[in-house]
Amino acid sequence: MRVKDSWHIETLMNNNDITVHLDHVTKRFGDFTAVQDLSLSVSPGRIFGLLGPNGAGKSTTIRMIVNITAPDSGSIMLFGKKIDSDLQDRIGYLPEERGLYKSMKVVDQMRFFAALKNVTAKEADVRIDRWLARLKLSEWKQKKTKELSKGMQQKIQFISAVLHEPELIILDEPFSGLDPVNLELLKDVVLELKQAGKTIIFSTHHMIVAEQICDDICLINRSQKILEGSIREVKSSFGRNSVALRLEGANGNLDASPLISKVARHSDEIEVLLAPGANPQELLRDLISSGATITKFEMIEPSLNDIFIAKVGDAQ
Amino acid sequence: MTKFLAIVKREYTQRVRARMFIVTTVLLPAAMLFFGLAPALMMTIGSGNPLRVAVIDGTGKLLSRVQDSLAHDKATGAIPNGTPNQGSDFGRENFVFEEVKPGTRSLTDVTAELDQRLRNKEIDAYLILPPDLMETGKARLYRRNSSEIFSRGQLQDALDDAVRQQRLTDAHVDAKTLSALQRPVAFETTRITAAGNEHDSGASFPLVFGFGFLMYISVLLYGQVVLGAVIEEKETRIAEILFSSVRPFTLMMGKLVGVSLVALTQLAIWGVAFAGFGLYGINLLASRGVPARLPNIPLSFYLYFVLFFLAGYFVYSTLYALVGSIVTTAQEGGQVAMPIIILLVISFYLFFPVSKNPDSTLSFWLSMVPLFSPISMLIRIVTQTPPLWQIALSLLFSLAFGTLLTWVASRIYRIGMLMYGKRPTIPELVRWVRSQ
Repeated sequence: MRVKDSWHIETLMNNNDITVHLDHVTKRFGDFTAVQDLSLSVSPGRIFGLLGPNGAGKSTTIRMIVNITAPDSGSIMLFGKKIDSDLQDRIGYLPEERGLYKSMKVVDQMRFFAALKNVTAKEADVRIDRWLARLKLSEWKQKKTKELSKGMQQKIQFISAVLHEPELIILDEPFSGLDPVNLELLKDVVLELKQAGKTIIFSTHHMIVAEQICDDICLINRSQKILEGSIREVKSSFGRNSVALRLEGANGNLDASPLISKVARHSDEIEVLLAPGANPQELLRDLISSGATITKFEMIEPSLNDIFIAKVGDAQ
Repeated sequence: MTKFLAIVKREYTQRVRARMFIVTTVLLPAAMLFFGLAPALMMTIGSGNPLRVAVIDGTGKLLSRVQDSLAHDKATGAIPNGTPNQGSDFGRENFVFEEVKPGTRSLTDVTAELDQRLRNKEIDAYLILPPDLMETGKARLYRRNSSEIFSRGQLQDALDDAVRQQRLTDAHVDAKTLSALQRPVAFETTRITAAGNEHDSGASFPLVFGFGFLMYISVLLYGQVVLGAVIEEKETRIAEILFSSVRPFTLMMGKLVGVSLVALTQLAIWGVAFAGFGLYGINLLASRGVPARLPNIPLSFYLYFVLFFLAGYFVYSTLYALVGSIVTTAQEGGQVAMPIIILLVISFYLFFPVSKNPDSTLSFWLSMVPLFSPISMLIRIVTQTPPLWQIALSLLFSLAFGTLLTWVASRIYRIGMLMYGKRPTIPELVRWVRSQ
């Protein structure tokens, strides 16, 4: 499904407004095709979610954007230019494979990563203190990395990725392995960065987080794009074809109803997916006539999770 | 350049601050000091008490000759052709002899008495020189401590000497003729060079040998460090961040330079310590009568020594970096790095053909091939200094070869880091190097 096809063609004509543009990019490793004919555009100042199941090709796509590997065919443009090592300084990258120098002090490590992005030592020190305070890590500044918990290391790595104040921030699975408190904290920070005008691309297979913070998404599965667009567009294109129900008695014949294609029972309510072309009013009438007491009947949008499962499940 | 320096700085400071570095840097000179000085000190302690020896001289002629011989040894510092050095007793045992005359008593009685005195520690040993010693060549030494070999050896040498002198005297050869017969040949070597004749102390060969050995040791020691440094980011998965910030070549070169600076720091500290001990030791030995002196080597040799060491070290380090870029763990790297050691050993053995024939075509080409040139060229410089352009060309080749290897290693590293697990085949490596 190409939700934004018309928009897509427009943007090809004025590429300069686009932060990242991939044009028919393919990458193979031997016989295995990791990314196939992928085109996508990321607009400035937006949060772009690259979604997909494990092994879909998200990390390979990201590695091509940050110039770690080159595509076999197709082209990648950053800030309207072909990627080179000067442009790399305008990108902040948090790889999926986390890694820090274990026996280096937190502060030395950050200074090193800042220097690699051409930040002066003086400037780096100011920013390090500010960021450590923001992510509640100030007391760990002089500690060696190996003394830190995994979650803390992940936050250190996040800081290292944004210390040089890049215009484009690319985060590969930034929220995996974080506790709820730190997850909230990092989400807030990402939203603050967006407020500051940064463009953010992140990959995840956690649809709930993606739904909360993404402006645009691109869903890829088995190395191919299956849908792309703003969250709004994607959701509305799926339509309101689900109903949240709470009822007492006579819910047994829901499964038998020809109007319903799928029933999901949660702790205190039931979510049903209507069969194609089914009229929700008809379902309501059926339920009343069957003698059930209805306390809730609400048409709902599909969650990103539902869309993900529907799309990825279809393909398999 | 900022990025390059950042990498060099990190490699250097992290390693120099490591406990292991500090320990090994301090420990080696300390061990050298200990092993160098301890034996000398022990000897001094040992020679503090003279060995008391009772002698039953059945021949009636030998004891005085033994004493003469020992006194002569002591005076000349035991160096056959050395200059006499008064007052030096380095490593010399002192003996106090007491002649026991059996008189009318039987030999059994006398030895019984001497045994008793030995047990009472009134004497340390007794020596029986039977009347027929000159014919049988047999003497007997009795002592409490039979494991102490130095004084026994000295005593034996002195007795040998005494018997030989006595036999010559018996054969009517006088002392003058004797010393004339025994005078050794002195060999003076002179090196003919383009610059003129100069005295050749023969010390250049130990220098080249020492150079080869130093190369071998440092490549062995620090090659592993280079290997570890290159693999480090692969194992810790930091490589991705680095490659999103710097060019692979910058990273690889930065690492090599950083580790090399660490190696040079350590070698410099050791070198200064070694030179210090060396000078001190030579003075010490010289003051004790050992004819040790500093080799007579032109200053330019030291300069070439340093230059070719750097060149050789660089080339061999890049080989390790190349191995590091291919493998995924340090253990695996150790196995793959074996051929490097073999190359190094081969280049070491080239010492012999090149030093025999330093101007041959083979020697010329060997001194141009980067892996063999450091040792080969240095031998040529020491034996028959080749034209300057050859020396410069040899260095240039090493530099170019090392840089090329670093470039190849960085290409392989960049692609290899994303492929954990299986080691790539050679055709795959070639493809990686040539890929975009």
